[in-house]
Amino acid sequence: MPSKRIFDRIDSIQLRGVTKKYEGRFAINDLTLDIEGGEMLILIGPSGSGKTTTLRMINRLIEPDSGTIHINGQDIIELEQVSLRRNIGYVIQNIGLFPHMTIAENIGLVAKLEGWDKEKISERVKYLLDFVSLPSEMFMNRYPHQLSGGQQQRVGLARALVMDPPLLLMDEPFGALDPILRKQLQEEFCIIREKLGKTIIFVTHDIEEAFKLADRIGIMDDAKLVQIGTAEELIFHPANDMVASIVDTGKKFKHLDTLRIRDLMTPLDNKYVHAASLAVDEAIDSMLAKDIELAVVSNGNEPVGIVRLPDLMRLGETSDTIGDHAVSVPSFASDELLEPSLKDLHEKGHSIAFVTDNGRISGFLFPNDVFRQLV
Amino acid sequence: MLLSDLMNVWEANSLTTRTIEHLTMFSIAIVIASIIGVSLGIYLYSRPGIAHPVLNFLNVVETIPDIPLLVLLLPIFGLGEEPTIVASILYSLLPITRNTYTGLKEVDQQYVDIAHAMGLSQRDILFRVRIPLSLPMIAGGLRIALVFTMGVVTLGGLIAAGGLGAALIAGIQLYEVGTILVAGIWTGLLAVILDGFAGSIEKKLQRRYGTW
Repeated sequence: MPSKRIFDRIDSIQLRGVTKKYEGRFAINDLTLDIEGGEMLILIGPSGSGKTTTLRMINRLIEPDSGTIHINGQDIIELEQVSLRRNIGYVIQNIGLFPHMTIAENIGLVAKLEGWDKEKISERVKYLLDFVSLPSEMFMNRYPHQLSGGQQQRVGLARALVMDPPLLLMDEPFGALDPILRKQLQEEFCIIREKLGKTIIFVTHDIEEAFKLADRIGIMDDAKLVQIGTAEELIFHPANDMVASIVDTGKKFKHLDTLRIRDLMTPLDNKYVHAASLAVDEAIDSMLAKDIELAVVSNGNEPVGIVRLPDLMRLGETSDTIGDHAVSVPSFASDELLEPSLKDLHEKGHSIAFVTDNGRISGFLFPNDVFRQLV
Repeated sequence: MLLSDLMNVWEANSLTTRTIEHLTMFSIAIVIASIIGVSLGIYLYSRPGIAHPVLNFLNVVETIPDIPLLVLLLPIFGLGEEPTIVASILYSLLPITRNTYTGLKEVDQQYVDIAHAMGLSQRDILFRVRIPLSLPMIAGGLRIALVFTMGVVTLGGLIAAGGLGAALIAGIQLYEVGTILVAGIWTGLLAVILDGFAGSIEKKLQRRYGTW
């Protein structure tokens, strides 16, 4: 029986005052959480902190005692459970591939229940297996027990994607794998994620995994959401000691006070530099030809700011020069200390800065990228 | 010499006909018991409130010794095949029903969980997850039923049901050692073969549907 396509994309998920008690103990205590469409939110916290319960409430495996959950403004309590779940992919640590079905049957099960014809299912299964880097002709007819843990987890992901759900819930999907394989799958998942463009809520207890994958991280403790924000926000402004100890600020940044900007800057290639007197359309041609999306606008040897290709293209027909549209960015000397500069950039909300050597521009500093290198 | 003696005994007691009668009763009993037992097991699974009383009742039936059970059925079904088949079914119901019920109930929770999360309905979960994963357990129940049924069908010879039991009884009454030996060994051999066959099916199901 085909079920309704409830949402094609996620605009927002809102949890409001969600509470769940088990035997008088709070599993979730008055949780309010906003998830943006397209983001990857990672929930992290000690076991029993309520992160899995939160996840399982979104596909109604667990119903809250009080509070509401809205997806795209619609209260999910009003939706039929089966249709809701077929619109949400679900991946768990122990995978749970059905042992009596082949890999193809496992992946295609819901499509079959939806009444797809055999060819369409087989096509989709092949596509998904290739998508998770398992050669389809080798794996379609195998049984789950014939696969390694990593291969099973890939199949688990493929199965969750069969109905192309706009939302994915993942509960420690890499938790049971050995550390090297886990890193590998994380890397692969980073790439896959870009292609998927889905909203993902992900539970883990591995802070490095969270730093690597998340757009935002929500820290949970004792049935409450303690803090939510980007990795940067959590590290620089932990709400309390518990958050600080989870993000492990002290340890990871012990060496930060000795780092200088030049250690982590991105050196500048000359092709990025464009004269301020250059006409906008000429600059666009030049940037397209060089395959760059960002240009440094310089006046003689002095950098005045940056322009971005999409912004320039949006200007349309104009006789302006790029000097008229240059956006000024902060500038630091390459021998300055990294930490205060990062803090400064963070506070002012800049995502890019110039690095200069004796007044000449020598590179960029991307605080977000620096961040990724550090953690 | 030995072979011709054996052929004589076989012919004199029409053991071919007896074997066919025997296996016919056996098959009818097993097929009906399987249908009722599996359906009842599934029904009990969906109505857990009555599962225990029903299984207890079947347990009581199971404890009645076979000859008295046959005798008890005589006033209702008369002599012959019918009471024999009914008694076989009654004995077979407990193992089949109980194993079906237990099998369904004890499917590993992780598969049921993920099935729910994927958006399978209760019905889909029953037919596509619970029942397939219980098949090895159900087959185990059937195998027990099979052994019971072989015994009861043989006893049917006492109440004119025909089958190999009839030949055996005749041999005992006339004190024909040859008949007793041939019919007895053949009945035993048949039981071993059928059990072996059922065992191999059970193993196959275990491989195919067992949890790894």
